[in-house]
Amino acid sequence: MRLRVHHRTEYRYFSPVWDSLNELHLKPLQTRWQTCESAIISVVPAVRLTSYEDLHQNTVHHFEIPEKHERLIIDSRCTVTTACKVDFQALPYGFPHSGLRSLKGDEECFPFLQDSRYVEINPEHWRLALDIQDFSTDVFQTAYAIMEYIFRNFEYRYGSTTVSTHANEVISRRCGVCQDFAHAMVALCRCLGIPCRYVSGYFFDATRHHSLRGSEASHAWVEVFIPGHGWIGLDPTNNKVIDDTYVAIAVGRDYRDVTPVSGTYFGSGSSMLEVKVTVERLDSPAPPPKPAAASPAPKPVPAPVKAVKA
Amino acid sequence: MLFQDYEKGDFFDEMFASDDGDVFPHYHPLYQRFQSLEKEQFQERQQRIDDTFLKNGITFTVYGDKDGTERIFPFDLIPRVIPDREWRVVQDGLTQRIIALNLFLHDIYHEQRILKDGVVPRDIVETAAHYRPEMQNVNVPRDIYIHVCGTDLIRDRDGNYLVLEDNGRCPSGVSYLLENREAMKRAFPRLYSGMNVRPVDAYPELLLKTIQHLSPRQSQTPVCVLLTPGVYNSAYFEHTFLARQMGIQIVEGRDLVAIDGYVYMRTIRGLVQVDVIYRRIDDDFIDPKVFRPDSVLGVPGLIDAYLRGNVALANAVGTGVADDKVTYCYVPEIIRYYLDQDPILDNVRTYLGWKPDDQKYMLENLESLVIKAANESGGYGMLMGPSSTAEERSIFAAKIKANPRNYIGQPVISLSRHPTVCGDTIEGRHVDLRPFVLYGEDVRIIPGGLTRVALRKGSLVVNSSQGGGSKDTWVLYQ
Amino acid sequence: MLSRVAESLFWLSRYIERAENLARLVDVNREHLLDSHRQGQSNPTEAWRPVLQATCADAAYDAILEDSEPPPDAGRFITLENRYPDSIRQCIANARENARMVRDQISEEMWLELNAVHLLLQSSEAEALWASDAPEFYNRIIDFSLLFQGLTDATVVHDEGWQFMQIGKFLERADKTSRILDILTFWHEPDRYHCSTVLSSCSAFSAFRAEFRGEATLQNVAAFLLFSQAFPRSVRSCLRQVDNALHAVSGVPAGTFSNEAERLTGSLLARINFSGVDEVFGRGLHVYIDELQQHLNDIGQRLYETYVLLPSALRNVTRADGTQHMWQYNQQQ
Repeated sequence: MRLRVHHRTEYRYFSPVWDSLNELHLKPLQTRWQTCESAIISVVPAVRLTSYEDLHQNTVHHFEIPEKHERLIIDSRCTVTTACKVDFQALPYGFPHSGLRSLKGDEECFPFLQDSRYVEINPEHWRLALDIQDFSTDVFQTAYAIMEYIFRNFEYRYGSTTVSTHANEVISRRCGVCQDFAHAMVALCRCLGIPCRYVSGYFFDATRHHSLRGSEASHAWVEVFIPGHGWIGLDPTNNKVIDDTYVAIAVGRDYRDVTPVSGTYFGSGSSMLEVKVTVERLDSPAPPPKPAAASPAPKPVPAPVKAVKA
Repeated sequence: MLFQDYEKGDFFDEMFASDDGDVFPHYHPLYQRFQSLEKEQFQERQQRIDDTFLKNGITFTVYGDKDGTERIFPFDLIPRVIPDREWRVVQDGLTQRIIALNLFLHDIYHEQRILKDGVVPRDIVETAAHYRPEMQNVNVPRDIYIHVCGTDLIRDRDGNYLVLEDNGRCPSGVSYLLENREAMKRAFPRLYSGMNVRPVDAYPELLLKTIQHLSPRQSQTPVCVLLTPGVYNSAYFEHTFLARQMGIQIVEGRDLVAIDGYVYMRTIRGLVQVDVIYRRIDDDFIDPKVFRPDSVLGVPGLIDAYLRGNVALANAVGTGVADDKVTYCYVPEIIRYYLDQDPILDNVRTYLGWKPDDQKYMLENLESLVIKAANESGGYGMLMGPSSTAEERSIFAAKIKANPRNYIGQPVISLSRHPTVCGDTIEGRHVDLRPFVLYGEDVRIIPGGLTRVALRKGSLVVNSSQGGGSKDTWVLYQ
Repeated sequence: MLSRVAESLFWLSRYIERAENLARLVDVNREHLLDSHRQGQSNPTEAWRPVLQATCADAAYDAILEDSEPPPDAGRFITLENRYPDSIRQCIANARENARMVRDQISEEMWLELNAVHLLLQSSEAEALWASDAPEFYNRIIDFSLLFQGLTDATVVHDEGWQFMQIGKFLERADKTSRILDILTFWHEPDRYHCSTVLSSCSAFSAFRAEFRGEATLQNVAAFLLFSQAFPRSVRSCLRQVDNALHAVSGVPAGTFSNEAERLTGSLLARINFSGVDEVFGRGLHVYIDELQQHLNDIGQRLYETYVLLPSALRNVTRADGTQHMWQYNQQQ
C-alpha cells in the first residue's frame, strides 16, 4: 500500500519562549516491509535541522531556537510504501514458551524484557498475564490473547490519562488511549518473558465507516519477538495484527524512547498544542516492496511520532 | 510512416534509447499509433487544433511586437510521455525544493539564521533585486510564501532531470497545459485512454483550495479574486481561464480599493471586502504607494492592508529573492540546511558573476556559456554563447563587469530532444518541462507540466515569447 | 458584480448594436443611391451627407477628405475606416476588447462568434468582400449581431450582467433609431423615397405598412419610429426595455426610482408615453430629436456614475461588521 502522511504539530506559547531544544522522532523506518520514498520535516521558525540515529536505529531530528518565539510549527510529510510482514494464512504459531528462556541473553531482545520508564514487571501483572495465558504453550497465541484481553476489557477513553501515565495505572484503571493500551500490553508480555517493544506510527483506516480508533492522530502499538519470524506487530487498540495499513515511525522500550516531539524551552507559562494527522492512500497501484538489501531510495532512515496520545 | 526518417542525433532523446535507438517502452503505444497515421491525416488533426486554439482565443501577447497583439502558442501534436517511476523522483524533488525555499524565505524575512551561519552570503540576498526589506518580521498567512511555483526542469545527456530555474513570483503557462490536454483528448481519444494517463483537470480546484487556505476570515467562504494587469498582459488569456475555472472574480487594480487597511472590490452594489488576492502582477507594480510610484496597475494601500493581515496575497510579496538566479546556486545548500537532506533534483552547474574566479571563467568562456541576467525572466536579457556574435559577446562582457551581481553563466546543456512535427517531417527538437507546484495545506503537483519545445532547429530557447511551442505531457500511472 | 465588468458588458452589447445599425444604414443608403444617380444627384459625397451627419461621422470624414483625391468612398469610410473610431470595424474591435475583459462572464458561444467576426473584419478578406459584394458584407454583420443577441438571451444567465447588456443594447438602439429618423430633417420636404429609405434602415418597412396602411409621410414615419408600441426598434419600445432592465438591477418597483438613471429614464418614457406626434412637430422634429438624444446621453452618464464610479458615500466606508455583512448579503442575492 502506498500511503502519504501529513503530520502537523503546532505550539502557541502565551508568552514568548527562548532557548528551545527539540528532538523529533518523525521519520518512518526503512525496513524490508516498509520503504520510505520521501520524508520531509520542516520547522517554522525556519532553523537548521540535523539528525542522528538513536540506540534503536530510529532517526532523530534535532534543532534549537535560541531567539524568542511565540509559535513553533513542525510539519512532517512522508510517502511510504508498505507490505504485510505477516502472512495471514500462516500466522507465526509454533514457538513454545519454553523456548523463551534462551532469548534472555539475546542482545536484540534484552532491552525489551526489562523495566523501563513507563513499564514495570511486577508480580501483580505477572499473575494477570498468567491468567490470560491460560496454560497456552504457544508464544504467539499468548500474545494474541493478551491483545484481545486488553481490547475487550479496557475502555478506550480520551482524557482519562496523560502522556506520562504509567502502565501500572493503566492496568489497574483499565482505561486509556492507544499509548496506554500499548504500555499495558508491553508490561504483560514482558512479565511472561516475551520480548515486547513499543512502536509509534500511523495507520490508514481502510474500514468503510472509519471505525478504527486512533487514525486521526499518531498511533501506537507493540511488537513481540517470535524466533524464526522476527518482530510481529499487534495493535491492542484495534485488536489487529499489523498489516500494510500501518506505517511504523520508531521503536523503543516505551513511549519515552519514541516521543514524536519532545523538547525543553525557557519561558513562563502555558502553551496551546494542536496536532493534525492525515493519512491518505495514493491511488496509484503500489509497486512490489523492494528488498532491504538493495535500498535504492534517496536516504533510508527511520523515525517515530507521538505528540497527542491516541 | 511518420518516424521513418527520424534522426535521433547526438542528444538524449525522450522517445528513443541512446544506446540501441529502440523506442522506450512507455512510448510504445504512442509510437505505434503515430506510425499507423498517414501524413495527411496527421496534418489535418494538427490544423484542426490550431484552428480551435485561434477561434477560442488561446493566445498570448508578445511584447514589442506591433502588429497583432495576439498569437497562438504553437502546439505540437506529439505528446511527451513520462513514466511513473521518473515522475515520482520529480515530484519528490519538487516537493522538497518548494518546502526548502519557503523555509528560506521565512528565515530571510525573520531571524536570518542561514545568513548568520554563513551558509548563504548575506550580500547576495540583500542585493537581490526582488528582496523586500518591507517584509522583515512580517508573518505571512500560514507561513507560506510561494504558493504557486513553476520550476523549469531540463534533462541532461544521461536523462537526469536538472533544475534550470524556479519561478516563484507569477509563473504562467498552466492554462496551456490544461488546454493542450483537452486538444489531445479530442485528437487522439483512444490512444489517450489506452495509455493510462494521469488527469490534470483538478488543477483549478486545487489552486482554489490553496488560496482559500490563506483567508484571514476563515469563518465564511473567503472572497478570492484574481488580480490581473489587464487585457494587454501576455498571459491575460490564462488569467481569465483560471478565474473562470475557479469561479472567482478577475479584477484589475482599478477594481480594488484599499480603505483603512482593508481591501474592497468595487461592485455595482458597493464595496465588497476581499480576503485573498491571487495576484498575477509583480511586486513592483502591486502598490504604487510602496513600490513603483508610476504603476497604474496596482492598488494604492494594498501592502498596508497586507501587512496588517487583513488580506492575503498569493504569492507573498518578496518571493523573488528565492527565484533569483544567484540564490538558485545556493538551493542545494538551502535544502541541506533546513531539511537535513540531499537535494533530489540537481542544479545545473552555475558560475556566479560576483565570485572573482567564476567571473574570470565566464569572461574567458563566453562562447561556450549561456549568460543570464539574474532577475529577468522570459528569455529576455540572455546570451547564448555558441550562437552569439563577437559584438554581442563584448556587450555582455561589459555588462558582466559593470554589474557582476546580476549575471550568471551556465554551460550549454544539450537539452533532451523530443520528436516534433516540423513542416512535413518529424525531427528532434529540444524540450524542457515546467511542472506547477501548489503549496497550501499540503504540497500538490499536477502530474506532468507544460513541456515547452524550441521549434527552431538547433535552438535551445523554449520561451513562448522567443519562438517556442508546447506539447501535452502525459504522466502514466505505471 | 464588479463595476468594471458591468461597464464592459454594457459597452460590449452597445457596440454590437451600433455596428448593426450602421450596417443597416449604410447598406440601405448604398442601395438607394443607385437609384438616386438616375434621379440626377451627381456628387456622391453629398449624397452621403445625411448619413454622415446622422452617424456623427462628418467631421472625421471631412478631415481625411482634405488630403485624399479622389474623395474616399463614404460607405467604406463608415464601414472599414480605421481612422474613424466608430466605424463598423472599430465597433466590432471595441466590442471584442470589452468581451475580452469579461470573458469569464459571457458564454463560450458568444465569444466564438464575436471573435470570428472580428478576425474576419481584421483580415484582407473583409475589404475584398466589401468591394465585391457589399450587401453580403452588411448581411454578415447584421446576421452576426442578431445571432449574438440571440445567444445573449439563450446562453447566459439572466442576472445583473445580462441586464446591463440589455441596457446597452436598447439605449444604443433608441439613439440610432432617432438618428436615422433625423436624416429626414436634412431635406426640406422629404419625399416618399426618403421616407422609405429611413424605414428600411430600421427594418421597419413592412411593420410600418402593417400599422399605418397608408402613406409613408414624414408625420407617419416619425410617429411610427418614435411612438410605436409594438415595433421593437421604436424609441418608446427601447426606452421601456431600458426602464425594465434598470429596475431589475436596482430591485425597486416600476414607477419609482432609486437613482438618477432611473429617474431620467422614467421621466423620458412618461414624456413619450403621454405625448404625440403633434407635440413633436410643434417643437420641430430636429429639435425634438436633439433633446431626445441629449436625454439618452444623460441616462448613459448617470448609469455610469451610479454603478461604475460609485457614489462618494460608499467610498468613505468605515469598517463596521454589520454593514460589511449587508454588502456580502447583497452581493449574494
